[in-house]
Amino acid sequence: MDPITFSIIRHRLYRVVEEAVITLKHVSGSAITNEGHDLMVSLYEADGTLLLGGVGFLHHLTSAAEACKSIIRRFEGDVHEGDLFLLNDPFTAALHTSDIYLVSPIHYKGELIAWSACFVHVYDIGAMNPGGFAPEAQDVFSEGFSSPGLKLVDRGDLRQDIWDTLLNMVRGPEMVALDLRSMIACNNVAKDRMISLVEKYGLPTFQETCKTLVAQSETRLRERLLEFPDGSWESRQYFDVKGEVYKVLLKMTKKGDELIFDFTGSSPQSKYSVNCTKWASLGGLFAPLFPLLCYDITWNEGVIRPIKVIAPEGSIVNCTKPSPVSVATVGAIQSVNNAACTTIGKMLASHEKYDDQTSAVWHANHFAVFMFGKNQKGGDAIGILTETFAGSGGARTFADGVDIGGEIPNPISRMANVETVEAMFPVRYLFRRRLQDSGGGGEFRGGTGGELALVPHDAPDGGLHYVLSGKGSKFPQSEGLAGGNPGAINDYVWVHSPDAEQGHNCFSQSLSSIPGEKEAISWGVFPLMGNDALYVRWNGGGGVGDPLDRDPHSVLLDVTNQVISIDAAREIFGVQIQGQSLDVDGTTNLRTSLRKERFATNGGK
Amino acid sequence: MSTRQSRTLIVENASICCAECKKSIAPAGTSWKSAAALTRTRVIDIPGSTSSTHPDVEIRHFSCPACGALLDSETALPEDPFLDDILTSK
Repeated sequence: MDPITFSIIRHRLYRVVEEAVITLKHVSGSAITNEGHDLMVSLYEADGTLLLGGVGFLHHLTSAAEACKSIIRRFEGDVHEGDLFLLNDPFTAALHTSDIYLVSPIHYKGELIAWSACFVHVYDIGAMNPGGFAPEAQDVFSEGFSSPGLKLVDRGDLRQDIWDTLLNMVRGPEMVALDLRSMIACNNVAKDRMISLVEKYGLPTFQETCKTLVAQSETRLRERLLEFPDGSWESRQYFDVKGEVYKVLLKMTKKGDELIFDFTGSSPQSKYSVNCTKWASLGGLFAPLFPLLCYDITWNEGVIRPIKVIAPEGSIVNCTKPSPVSVATVGAIQSVNNAACTTIGKMLASHEKYDDQTSAVWHANHFAVFMFGKNQKGGDAIGILTETFAGSGGARTFADGVDIGGEIPNPISRMANVETVEAMFPVRYLFRRRLQDSGGGGEFRGGTGGELALVPHDAPDGGLHYVLSGKGSKFPQSEGLAGGNPGAINDYVWVHSPDAEQGHNCFSQSLSSIPGEKEAISWGVFPLMGNDALYVRWNGGGGVGDPLDRDPHSVLLDVTNQVISIDAAREIFGVQIQGQSLDVDGTTNLRTSLRKERFATNGGK
Repeated sequence: MSTRQSRTLIVENASICCAECKKSIAPAGTSWKSAAALTRTRVIDIPGSTSSTHPDVEIRHFSCPACGALLDSETALPEDPFLDDILTSK
C-alpha cells in the first residue's frame, strides 16, 4: 500500500491510544492511575488480534489481547454496537482481580471493525484487604470479585443491575465508580477517534493498514532475530515470602527467527498470593521484550508470533485455580519480567550492533504499600504509596542508570508529590530521597532507588493501617550485566514507639534517628498509629561492567553527591578518597590489588 | 577471525576467549564458567545491604584466569549451579 498513507494511519493509531490514556487519567480519581500511571490502553483488530499496544503497564498487552479474544468467544453472536464488556478473572486472562479490563467493540456502519481495551487498578475490588492486594489470601476466592466476562453496557445503555452489584461488593464504591467511568470514557474516546480515522481513509485502507502493520512487525522481529547467533541464555530470580524462598528459572533459546522462553525448574506454586497465571507470565516476559528488542517495531501480535513459552502447570509461573494471585503483579510477574530482561539483555550484548540497546535490570521489585483508614477530613481513604512506581534505571553500556528512573515495563510510571500524598492521607513524610549505595556497582552503575519515612499526622483515628506485600527483602533482583553488581534490596521497617511523646520524631532525618523499636516487616497488615513510623527503601538498578573500570572521578562525584559511601568507593570500585579528593596512587594500587585477588582463586568450582 | 559472545568474551579458533587478553578459557559452544577464576561475595557484606538480606545469598564474579578481567557476575544461593550462556552458531 501507499507508504505515506500507511505511515500516517500508523501514527494516527498512536495518537488514538495517547488520547485515550489522557482521558483515563483525567476522569479517574485514583492516585494509582493519575499519579502512578498504573494503566494501559491498546487497540485490537476485529478478531482480537493485538493491533497496537500503547503506553502504560506493558504486562497487560498480551493479557488484554486474551481478554478480547475471550469476550469474542463467550459472546459470539451477541456483540453489538455500543456494548462494553468487563473481565478481571486471572484464570481467564487478567493478571489479578484488581486490574479490571473494559473491552469495547468498535463498529463502523454496523460492521465490527476493531476493539479497544484498557485497564486501571481499581480503588478496591472487595478482597479481604483494602486495595486489592491480599497477602494472607488462601485462594483466589478471597481476593475479591472476579468475572470471566460480563456485559456492562448493552447497546449504549449501562446495565444498572450489574453496575449496582459491582459497587455493592467493594469499599469506596464512589471511587470505584469513577475508575469504571474513566475506563468507559477512555474506550469511548478510542472508539470515536477510530471511527473518525476510518471515515477519513475508508474501511478497506484502514483494514489493509492493520494487516500490514501486524505483518510488518512480525517480519521485522524475525529479521532482527536472524541477526543474532543461535544459542541459549539463562537467568534466575529469587524472592521470599515469610521465610519461604521461591525461584524463577529461565532459559531463553534463540534458534533461527524464533525465541523460546522456558521456565522449567521454577518453584512450585505458592500458598501465598505471589503466583502467576500463565497469562500473567506471558505478560511478564513480553513487558521487557517490547521495549528492549522491539524499540523500533510496532508492538502488536506480529511481535508475539515468533515467541514460544514453556511454563510448567502448577508452578509459580503457571499456577492452577484456585491459587491466590492478588500480589502477582509485584510478585512472580516481576521476577518473570526481570529474568526475561536479563536474558534479552545478554542476547543483545552478543551482537556489537545492539550493544547500546543492552541494559541491566531496572527497578526489579515493587513494594506494594496500600494505606487505608480515615483521612484528615473524616472520609475513608485507600491508596498505594506511588513511590513504588518511581523505580530506578538499570545501567546501560554507555551510561549510568537514571536515579529513581522508572522501570522498563511501564515507560510512563512515576510517583506522586509528597504534598499530594499528605493531602490525601493523614500522614507526614520525615524524608524522601535517593538511597545511598543502592545502584549496582559497575563501570556504569545502576540508578539509585530511594528511601522514605512516614508518620501519622492529623489523623482522626490516631493513624492508619497499611497492607504490605513486600516480598523480596532478602534477595537482590535487579541483576547486573557483564560483571556488574545487582542493585540493592528493598527493606521495610516498622518503628514502634508507644512511649514517645507526640511529635517526638518530627525532625528525624534517618532511620537510625527515629526513636523506638525497629522491626523488619515484609508481609501482612501493620499499623501506622500513634507514634509509629514506617520506613521503606526501594531497590536500585543493576550495574554494567567491571566496577574497577569505572572512572575514579565519577566515583568521587558520586561520593560528593552522597550517592555512594566512602566504603562502597573503596570496596566495590577500588577508589581511595582522601578528604574530598581522589587519591590517584592509592586508587591505582588498590585496583591492582583487587584484580590480583580475583585470579588468586583457581577455577570456578 | 573472532566473533563476539558477550561484552567480555569472544570466540576465536573454536575457543571462548577473554576479550581483553584473548586467553582461551573453554571450547566454543560449552559452559565456560567452571574454567574461569571465581570469587564469591556475600551480598550481606556489600555496602548498601540491610540486616534483612538472606545470609547465604552471594554474588559470583567470574574473571579471566590470565588477566583478571571481570567476565560476568550472577546472584546465587551457594547450592545453585552456574547460569550457562551458550552460543551454538554464529
